[in-house]
Formats: sequence, C-alpha cells, structure tokens
Amino acid sequence: MQTKEFKIKWGMVIDIDKCTGCGACMVGCQVENNVAPMTKTDPYNYVQALTTDRSDASDKLLTLTWMNVYELSNGKAFPEHETAYLPRPCMQCGTPACVPVCPVVATEKNEEGGIVSQVYPRCIGCRYCMAACPYHARYFNWWDPLWPEGMDKGLSPSASPRPRGVVEKCSFCHSRYLDAKDKARQDGEDPMNLPDGAYVTACTEICPNKAISFGDLNNPEHAVYELSRGKHSFRLLEKLGLAPQVYYTSEREWVRMQGDNYNADGGSH
Amino acid sequence: MSVARRAFIQMSVGATVGILFTPTVWTALDDVSIWTQNWPWIPTLKYGEMKGVPTVSKMCESGCCVQVRTVAGEAYGVKGNPDNPLSGGACCPQCANGVQNMNNPNRIKSPMLNGEAISWEKANEVVAEKLEAAGSKVAVISGDQSGTVNEVFSALLTSKGSDAFYMMPCDMQIADKAWTGLMGGSGQIGYDFEGSDAILLAGADAMESWGSVVATRTAYAKNEVRKLIFAGPLQTKTAALASKWVPVPAEGMAAFTLGICYYVLQAGKSVGASDFDQFKSMVMSNFTPAKVEAATGVKADMMADVAKQLLAASNPVVVPGGSVAANAAAFALNLLLGTGAMKVLPEFAKGVEGAMSRSDMLKGDILQGVTADLLFVYEANPAYVLPEQLKAGFTVAFDCVNTETTAAADLVLPIPHSYERYEDTANPYGVGVATYSMGAPVSKPYLDVMPAGDFILGVADLGVETFAEVIEAKVEAVGGDMDELIEGAALVNEASASVSGVTLAATVLGKAAVPVKGTGAVSLAPYTQLVVGSANQATTPNAPAAISNNQVAIDYSLVVMMNSATAKKLGVADEAKVKLSGGNGECEAQVKIFEGVLTDTVAAPLGLGHTVGDEFSKGRGDNVYKILTVSSEAATSASTWAGSTVNVAKI
Repeated sequence: MQTKEFKIKWGMVIDIDKCTGCGACMVGCQVENNVAPMTKTDPYNYVQALTTDRSDASDKLLTLTWMNVYELSNGKAFPEHETAYLPRPCMQCGTPACVPVCPVVATEKNEEGGIVSQVYPRCIGCRYCMAACPYHARYFNWWDPLWPEGMDKGLSPSASPRPRGVVEKCSFCHSRYLDAKDKARQDGEDPMNLPDGAYVTACTEICPNKAISFGDLNNPEHAVYELSRGKHSFRLLEKLGLAPQVYYTSEREWVRMQGDNYNADGGSH
Repeated sequence: MSVARRAFIQMSVGATVGILFTPTVWTALDDVSIWTQNWPWIPTLKYGEMKGVPTVSKMCESGCCVQVRTVAGEAYGVKGNPDNPLSGGACCPQCANGVQNMNNPNRIKSPMLNGEAISWEKANEVVAEKLEAAGSKVAVISGDQSGTVNEVFSALLTSKGSDAFYMMPCDMQIADKAWTGLMGGSGQIGYDFEGSDAILLAGADAMESWGSVVATRTAYAKNEVRKLIFAGPLQTKTAALASKWVPVPAEGMAAFTLGICYYVLQAGKSVGASDFDQFKSMVMSNFTPAKVEAATGVKADMMADVAKQLLAASNPVVVPGGSVAANAAAFALNLLLGTGAMKVLPEFAKGVEGAMSRSDMLKGDILQGVTADLLFVYEANPAYVLPEQLKAGFTVAFDCVNTETTAAADLVLPIPHSYERYEDTANPYGVGVATYSMGAPVSKPYLDVMPAGDFILGVADLGVETFAEVIEAKVEAVGGDMDELIEGAALVNEASASVSGVTLAATVLGKAAVPVKGTGAVSLAPYTQLVVGSANQATTPNAPAAISNNQVAIDYSLVVMMNSATAKKLGVADEAKVKLSGGNGECEAQVKIFEGVLTDTVAAPLGLGHTVGDEFSKGRGDNVYKILTVSSEAATSASTWAGSTVNVAKI
C-alpha cells in the first residue's frame, strides 16, 4: 500500500535519553481524553453480588493507556545494566495497518495532518484493528467508563467518553488541533500553516523533561523537522513499512537497536 | 354470550399463530435485550469558556506551579504554568491528577469528633479547650515544606511557649541539618541544574522523588551539557538520564563522597574553612580510596573517574540525598570544588509575627518520636509513615481526604483542596534561586471545609484574622506584587546568602561517614515514585494505569526488585513470593529480577499498602515504611532510615 501523503504531517519526536518514565504524560493524557480511572465496582450495577468485579488498572492487558511508557533494559547483568523509558502513543502511521482491516470505516487516514481517526459511533468492536496494529496502540473498552461519584463533574471537554464495546486510541489530542485552527482563523492567520507550538498534545505539554517534541514533520520551521531527521532518530519496527509519524531519538545504540526488534543472537526473523 | 368449546380452540390457535407472525413480540424482546445493556449512565460534557487559572498545587511534596484548566468555570484538569520558572509549563504526575483528587469521594465532608460529624463552632470550642489545657505541650506535624501555613502553626506554638514543630522526613530537612546544624551555615542550599556542566547525584533521586522534582527537571531540560552521574543502590528513574550509574549503598554515600574528596584534595583543591586542615588530614588518612572501597564496595577507580569528571568541569555540582553525613560530605565537596553551582539561598521575610524560621521548623526530629498533649497534623500522614513515633493525648488532623492519620485522629478538620484555597510556596528545596509563588482559590469549595490557617487564627489570637490576610502580609514582606503573583508569575530573588564562617564539619564527618548498617541478610533500598505516591499523598485516581507491574503485581502484591546474583544467594526466582522482615514489621512481596539493583540489596517501593483511602490506593501492595529501621547517625545525632536491612524468607 502506498503511503498517503499530506501537506501537513503532524508528528512527534521523543527523546528517549530525556525520558525518566515518570508517568506525567500518561496521567495528563487520561485527564485530557476522559479515559476513566479504572474502578472495580459499578455503582449502577444493582446485582453486584451476582456479577464479577470489573478489571482495574493492575491488569495491564485490560488497561486503557493511549500513551503507555515501556521500560527498556540493555539486558546486561549488574553492574553493566542500563535502563531507558519509551513512551508510546499511537504512531499515526503513514500506511496504517489498522485502517484497511476495519469493516465499518471507523478508522481512517484522510484528514490533512495525517492523524489516523477513530470514529467511536461507527466502531462495532470487532477489534480487527487491534490485531493488526503492531504497536499495541489500540485499546478495547471492556467496561463502561465510570468515574467515582462526583469525579464525573470534572470531565474534559476535549473528548467524548466512549462506551464499552468500542476501540479507542490516541488521537494526538485532535480537539487541540481543531482549537488551534479555530484560533488561527479568529486571529486572521492561516489555519493550514500553524506556527511551531500552536498545536501540541497534552503529553508534550506536561513533560517536565521536555522529552517530547510535537509539530509538523513537513514544515522546516517546526523543530520536529530537524529532530526527525537527526543522526540518532529512528522509528519503531521501521522494517514493517508502516511509516509511523512518531520518531524516537537516542544516543544509546542498544536503545536504537531495540526499536526494530534487532536480534543480537542472529535470530531467524 | 357463551363461547363454545370449538370457538375457544379456534381463537387460541388463531392467537398463537397470530403471535408467531406478528413482529411485536420479537421486537419487544429485541428491545429488552438492547435496553438492558444500555449504558446506565451517560456522561455529559460541559462546554463553555476554557481557561487556565494559575495557582500552586500542593499534591506533591514540593508543590507544582500549575494552571488549573476550567471549562465554564468547572475545573477539569491541570497543566503546568509556563509563566512560572518552577514549572516551565510542566507538572508532575500527582498534580496532573489534582482535580480528580479534589472531586474524589474520599474527601472529608465535615468536621468529625471521634467519628461523629460536628459543627465548626463545636470544633472551635473543642480545640480552644484542649489548647488551654495543654499549656506548652502542643506539637505540630506539617506535611507542607514551603507554605506560609507553617508560619501560622509555628506562631501558634510560639504563643504557647512550645517549639515542637515537626516536618515529615524530607530532603530539605536533612540538608538543613547538615548545612546549618553541622557546618554552621545559614540560608538554604540550592543547585544550578541548568548551568552545571557535571552533576553528581550522590543519592539524590533528583528527577523523580527528591526536592522540587519538576523545577529540577525543567532546569535540567535546559542544560546544554547534560553530564549526569547518578550514585545510589538502585537504578531509579533518575538513572535513565544519567550517563553513568555508580552503585553505592545508601549507608556508604557519605564515605563514597569523602572518597571523591580524597582525589579532589589530592588535586590540590582547598577552601578557606577554619577546619580545612583537620578535614584534609581526616580524609587523607581515613577515607583513602582503598579504605572506602573496603567499606562500601565502590571500586577506587570508579571514584577516581567521578572525581576526574568533576575536576574537569568548570561548574560541577554534587547533589546529595540520604543521611545528614552524606549531605555534609557533599557540601564539603562542593566547597572544595569551588563551584558556583551550589547556591545558598536567603530566607524570605516572615508574614506572621512570632513564626519560626524555616531552619527552626526543620530542627525537630520526627523519627525520634513526637510526644504531646495536643498534636496538630497538617496535610501529613504520620500514622502511615511512622505510626510508632506518635504519642499524643489528643490529635487534630487537618486534611482534605481520609487517610490513616485522619482515621486515627480524635478530631478531623476538613480543609479545602489546594485549588480551593490560598496557597503559596516559598523556596521549595533544591531550586537554584530563591522563589516565591502563590495562588488564589480556583474553585469554590463544595464541602463544609475551612482553611487550616483560618481555623487556627480563629482559636488563637495571632494578630490576624484570616489566612488570606496572612498571604497578603507575606507577599508584602517578600516584596512581591499580589496581582502579578496571582497571575502566575514567580518572585525570583537572585541574592545569595554568605558562606563565610562555614566549617567542613571535619570532626563529626570523620565519625558519621563510616557506614553502619543493620544485621539483616540484605540491605533495603526504599524508593519513591510519584505515580505510586509519596509519604503524604496516596496514589491518585489515574495513576494506577501508569504504575508498572514492577511495583504492584496484577494480584496487588508488593513487588520488590533484586539482581540475579542476590536472588541466587537468597534462593528465590522471579515472581517468587517472599516475606521481608525488618524494623518492627513484615511485608509480603513478589520478587522481580532487575539487574539495576546493587548486589545484596532489595529495592522496595514506598507509598503502597494503604489501609484507609480510596480504591486506587487502598489494599495495593504493602507498606514498606513498616520494615524500615530508624537508627541514630553516629556523631550527628540525627535519625536516619539509611542502613536499613531486612531478612528475606520464602513463602
């Protein structure tokens, strides 16, 4: 499949050498996008005694983490051991694996900016897209989102909550893109030529280490343009040819090697 | 009309056939199946004007300078405050969840006396009576390190003739004990994380749980050289940024630092302190690389390499964590290196008459125990961290959420959440310049709460009526502009305090730096992660998704980490269930093999195993504070958790 090219290509460059894996991006993302804290009990379930508890966040298979931080290890024993942290949003692939498998066109890549959409009302929850995504960036709502009593009054206006039975994923905080374009129009500027920093995601904004840079990969005036072309930049599983719009950078070779499932022992795949 | 048998049968058959053919029944059944599965509760979003209202968020230990994001006046999220240098637009994972905590059903809804709801008038009467009866036997434990509310509490103590002010154990306190206590300095130590070209973190988990985490990280993000050496028993998250990790046991940090001093002294560095000669001869004879290697296990060439990097830098800095001795050794090393990157910040003027100075507030050693007839606890959770150290006749706990401490207190007084009250932060520890930031309430309190300052000013005559007036007085005293501060700017004072007359504490350090550890089988390396929680702040609602299974297992077990050599020695494998015993307690845990831990050491996360709180913190993992051992540091007379050991038994 040919990569769909856009004039604007929103992308991220994540400097792994600057990430401490503190989790601020993960918390900031959940708050921005109304990902509910996972609660075990459902106050609306009047037959609680007859049903099993809902899953909670200690079960990482069922946890919704649009932004997920992985811990990397160089695999060496003490004292040569080294760690690094890899934040993983949706890669917004140039040739997404999730889009062609969707039977109901709930996920598309056709908007200027190159963000892979996820249309919740269309999604039938078949999860083909989850199976197709090699980055595990997609999550299924096994349970209805529920906020503990009173916490629901402070919902974010940026993303509608999703019911159970649909798949969701990082949207590069899409409503912020819309807001930035609106603001540009109000200010009489060109919404198709936003300055660097006019539109950034919640995770980019919150990171105290400034490990995440966000911008238009096609625009030489945006910092990510140079960063994504840096000597140490790489993408995850690049050999699959999905052309992710999320780049990583690290001066440590072992980190870069893990980005493409490099097999040190000369494995067969 | 009579119905014949035949007609009845005809009608029944007709009705049955009719029902089979009509869609009504099937549609109804279909509807039932759909409607019973419908979302029982449809979340509705509020739309309207969106704002970012600046304030100070006191969820984390140092406090984050944030903007509370509101939509149509309702707070929903938090982001950093780009106008404040302490934030630079970023915030920590705890403060990022601040609004969810504000709206948490775990909030305390009204004043409670021995478990029964009472009115504020009654609470006022009770406290006034207890204050009268207690005389000077009043004590305060504060979980706030930098707020002016401490001035109100300490002024109350002063008025009662007491000086029993205690802060929860914190890095600022240890640094102060070393700097003003042992070395005769004044002011508060800070570090230039932005301008230093070689930073040695000697035990300071600076990028995750030490000092003002966000301010440190924001400053370091601007550092162009980015040379960071991390020394400690565990590769914490900070180690991910370090160019080099030097495995050093916590109790050996002071000796390790003096081992580096050896090389620095050998290179001919000196400082004009009165006891320099004594310091030099102490280090050159007792802390030679060979001796330090024997005592701490850190290779001499490793120390030589670190010393070389520090000596080669033009603006190096050593940032300590851990014991008082380790702090004093690091300050001495910084003085020897002649660095400009260790700053000495002046203290801001007080806003309340009769209040104690910052340094005096830090003098109380909470680990040695608190005994009082009347104890006030302000936004701290000592019943969780050090239950055995508290002996109070009557405890009054101020907090906004239920904790172990409020559950154990006689009188619980609910205070507004950070975003519902006036809040400020003066000189949070670790920052390289003196700063003052404040914030006005963002949201209206929705519960029957009262700011702690207002309550105290209501029961005691301290010359002011409300906490808002105290803040006004503080702003005036520090020379700030109220409007600018409320808009989110920080007051920055570049002045630095004098270091003349400072000694190198040679006599004390010579004894205190000798590593002493417990008698257990392995060393215990406790660590803190903000997503897990800190001493005073339990896990926040959205944090569990960000907590890795390396801290809490899927079955809620506490996870402890050790390297494969240690595991082999102990005869345990990955995921083995073990029991750790140390201090006066025990913890059950699951083993995780992680090679970034010093051999013969087990690393355990603090902040888990709450018994009171919401579902996000309660019953997850176990409380590692139970198995820490408090020991008295030789010669410094300070209490420390460094040197804690545990025995590990398989279950």
